[in-house]
Formats: sequence, C-alpha cells, structure tokens
Amino acid sequence: MKVAVIGAGNVGAKAVYYIAEKNIADIVMVDVVDGLARAKALDFLHAAPVRGYEGKIRGSTDFAEVEGSDVVVMTAGIARKPGMDRMDLLKTNVGIARQAAREIARRAPNAVVIVVTNPLDVIAMVMLRETGFALRKVVGMAGVLDSTRFRYFIAEKLGIWPGDVQAMVLGGHGDEMVPLTGYTSVGGIPIGQLLDPASIEALVTRTRTGGAEIVSLLKSGSAFYAPGASVAKMVEAVIKNEKRLFPASAFLRGEYGFSDIYLGVPVIMGRNGVERIVELPLTEAERSALEASARAVKKGLDELAGIQEG
Amino acid sequence: MSRVSIVGGGNVGANAGFFIAEKGVTDVLLVDIQQGLSRGKMLDIMEAAPIRRYRNTLAGSDSLSDIEGSQIVVIAAGAIRSPGMRREDLYTVNAGLIRNLAPQIARLAPQSTVIVATEPVDSLTTLFFQQSGMPRARVLGLGGILDSTRLRVLIARELDVSTEIVSAIVIGRHSDDMICLPRYCSVSGVPLPHLLAPERIAAIVEETRTAGDLVVEMAKRSSSYYAPSAAVAELADSIHMNLNRIFPVSIVLDGEYGVTGAALSLPAVIGEKGVARVLTPELTPQEKEVFMESARKIDAAVKGDARGARAGGAAGGAS
Repeated sequence: MKVAVIGAGNVGAKAVYYIAEKNIADIVMVDVVDGLARAKALDFLHAAPVRGYEGKIRGSTDFAEVEGSDVVVMTAGIARKPGMDRMDLLKTNVGIARQAAREIARRAPNAVVIVVTNPLDVIAMVMLRETGFALRKVVGMAGVLDSTRFRYFIAEKLGIWPGDVQAMVLGGHGDEMVPLTGYTSVGGIPIGQLLDPASIEALVTRTRTGGAEIVSLLKSGSAFYAPGASVAKMVEAVIKNEKRLFPASAFLRGEYGFSDIYLGVPVIMGRNGVERIVELPLTEAERSALEASARAVKKGLDELAGIQEG
Repeated sequence: MSRVSIVGGGNVGANAGFFIAEKGVTDVLLVDIQQGLSRGKMLDIMEAAPIRRYRNTLAGSDSLSDIEGSQIVVIAAGAIRSPGMRREDLYTVNAGLIRNLAPQIARLAPQSTVIVATEPVDSLTTLFFQQSGMPRARVLGLGGILDSTRLRVLIARELDVSTEIVSAIVIGRHSDDMICLPRYCSVSGVPLPHLLAPERIAAIVEETRTAGDLVVEMAKRSSSYYAPSAAVAELADSIHMNLNRIFPVSIVLDGEYGVTGAALSLPAVIGEKGVARVLTPELTPQEKEVFMESARKIDAAVKGDARGARAGGAAGGAS
C-alpha cells in the first residue's frame, strides 16, 4: 500500500508521522519547496531504526512520486494570515489544488483523495471536478478533527478516558460545525444523562473555537497534532478497509436535503473511500444549523465560479 | 514494574498472561497448584519475547504466597462448564475455592484490585467481597464486559463496520437474564436503533445471550477463554495506567437501582483505585425489575451456600 501526502507543512508532516507509526503503508511526501519534503522524509528515516518503521518514506518536489498511490492526502496550500483577503487565499489554493488534481488523476487514478486544504468544502469540489474521480473517492477531513476535540473536552470534564467518548458532528469546519449532542455518548450513555445542558453548551462552544484557542496560544501558526492524527485515522480506515463511521465532508446527492455540494456528514469509510453516507434524524435546531452551514459552503462555491470565469 | 498475579494456570489465566505480555503493561505472575504447570506456560510465552519484543517479565509459581504485594490479582481458577451445563451449576464447587482464596488474597495483597473470572461470576464476586473484607471498589467480576464485547462483535458484523467504533452496554447478571441495552449501544455515537431494524436488534440480543453457551458447545472440552482473557488484560491496563476507561463489570451494589449486597454488572469507570465510579443509565421499569430479580437470585445462591458451607478446596488448576 502507498500513501502520498501533498504538502510537507506542519499538518502534512505530522500526518506522515502518525501514518508511519502505524506501519501500514509506504509514504511519499511531495512539496514544491525545494528540499523541504526530502529533509522531513530524511528526518523520519533517521528515526526508523528506533521506531521500527517498516514502510519506505520518501520526499520529493516531483509529482511523479505520487505514481500508484492508494491514498492521496491533499494538505498543500497557504494558510490565511491576518489581513489577507479571503479571495486571494481562495484563488491561490484553488490554483494549487487544480495542479495537484491533474497530477493525481494521471498518476494515481485509483486513489482515494482526502482533502485537508482550506476552504475545505470548496477545495474538495475542485479536486472532484479536476480529477474526474468517482464521487466516493474524494472526501474532506474536518469532522474527525472537530469530533476528536469535542470528545477530548468531554473526557477532560468527566475525568474519564477519551477513547470512551463517542461524538458526532455535522456541517462545516470550526464555527460552522453542528455538534449532535443527541448522538454523543460516554461508554454508550447519552451525554445528557451525565452533564447538565449548560456544561454541554460550554463544551460545544469550546469545540467550535478549538482551532482558534490553539492559534491564540501559539501566537504564530496553528494546530497540527490533532489534524495530523485525524488524517492518519482516515487513511488507516481506507488502507485497512475498516468501514469506520466518521463525520467527513462528502459530496451530497440529496442526502440531508442537499445536492451538489460538499458538506460534513456521517460516512462509512473503507477501501473505496466513502462507502456509504449515513442519514440521521435531526432536531429542528440541528437542521437549521446544518442549513446555515450549507449556505456558507454554497457561497464559497459561488466564489469558485467567479474564479473560473476570470 | 507493577505486577498482575493470576491465580489459576488454565486457559483463561495463561492467555490473560499472554495478552498482558502483548500490551507490555505489567509483570505477570501465574500461580497454579499443579507443580510446574504455570512455570511451563510462562516460560513458553517468555521464549517468544525476543520476537514479540516483550518488555515485561512473566513468571510462574506453585505457591499462592508469591502473589504478595501485587497491584492486581485475577482469580481464574476453578471448574469450568461442560456442554449443557449452566454457569450457576458451578457455584457449589467453585464457592469452596473462593472461600479458601479470599482471606489469603486479602492478607497477601491487601492493596490490590481483584478481578474474579471464575463462574458463576456474580455470585462468586459477591462471595469474595463478603469473605475477603476488601472494599467493594476493589473487587470486580468479569461479567458484562464479556457480554458487551460479544454484542459489539455481532453489531459490527451485522452493519459491516469496524468493531472498534461500536460501543455496547450489557448489564445485570452474566447469565441468560443479562440485560442488553440496545438504545445505549452506538456506532461512533449514533444509537443502534437509528441503524438497525427492531427485529434485527432482537435477533442480535438473543444471539448475545447464548454466545458463551455456543462456544462451550462447539469447543466441547473447553469454555471460552480468548475473550475473557483479553478482557482481563484490558481491565488490568486501565487499572495499572489509571486510564479511567468505562467497562461493564460486576460490582457489589450499594443502592444502585435500589439493590444492595449482590454483585451485578453496571458500567464502571476503572482506574488505579479499582472502580472509581459506577454509572447508572436510565432504565425502564421492566429492565429494573429484571435487574432486581437477578439480584435476588444472587442473594439466594450466596445465602444458601452460607448455610451449607464447608471448607473449600485449594487454588485449583482447572482450565
């Protein structure tokens, strides 16, 4: 099995780390910055004797290295800096995604593509259109990260092991996420039986701003451990055909009443990418929050159309 | 390194040692009265250490006194079922063993957390608690964790999803009156009733009820031991690492759902002090009634035993 990670920044490199630790695939990192991917790959390889890595790890500036990959993780793109125009960010990252998509389509035509680059739901659409891949083969990573943050905050609050908390979130990433507290449980017991509504709301708010909390602490840069681990979890589900139920950004054709957009929904991930989209009954509040999330994604897609015309 | 002592060198005991070795969590001492048996089995496992990279030490002993100072003591000794037997049929023979072991374990490892794996587990957990005088938080029985892991496997198979993302709660007695709680079973947080039709859920619940019997029937000469020994290793891990993981385990009740004195399974937070907290999910009146009826059965078994009690046997080497 082979995994390609496009972009050797913090999230890309940390994803490589978590994948390497799992010993499930050969890994190649590709980054246009001369020497960056090679340097990081070499650094990983220096740790191989100590950590017992079984797979090959390579770094390159050459997209030819993506050849034959089973999974491609798209992390390349610029991060938004204070004062930067939203459209400038979008134009730049759409350009990067288009170029990567053409290379992926040519060199790894059977790959499952996991998109991490922001704005996620828009870049996933670009990737889908430019590769011409089947709908299920292109998926975006956001919900796993939002839900792992939510799960951690709940575990911390209750003083229990984070792995025993299950949570589901829908919608866009960060501010636009729609946490489903009715589908959130601790050891199977619904969260509502263990915490009062005000405490749950406080944890939801902290989750929504979870990325911002890290940014404000770091002063410069943003989170990459939890994002990297979330990527690796999705990669593993594909490589091992685990059929895991994840919240992920998937192309919708009528599910939840939306069509022709990418939106965070529960999906079963396996060897074919999105094996199935799971539709859950929602409360009125959850539905309207999801609609708001979808409107934000639609706005992004309208902007994308503007770029294509220009 | 802390030590887990396992009393009884049969299949459950030896495989618990194996799973703990694979996790590399603690040292293991396997005790069996049969000369050489436990040392032989542990030596076999240790000889795989260079290949499997074990970091811990596994040893065997013929003497119970060697468990002194253990952090965790597992009771995996006693007679096992033959095809057609119910777990309750083992009570009389295995109660003698518990009466013998309880005061010795309380004396040799007073700070330990004890995991009872011998059947019938709820009655014997109750009996061990009474005979040892140890606090209820540090006496647990391997009950609901087995039923819930079996239910998880069946749900995952039915839905074709990874077992790891399925959580399930089975409470009550580790017998045919176990209480499966499908509405508290979920897949990545999504409750089972959203994913599966009621009749399929009912079929899976029924299969869970008889899953242990099926293993006995198929294996003929042994009862299940991989799932029980894996469960022991997970509990030991959560205690030793103070993980506060949630498992349904049999614990002597102290007012939960109005029951006191009998041990039955409930979801419990397991950490370095044994049971840190017992969780009590909301139950329907019918579920509560089954729960209370199970408690009465435990009371009757243990009280009946007290009346006719006589000195029990020594730590057995049953498998």
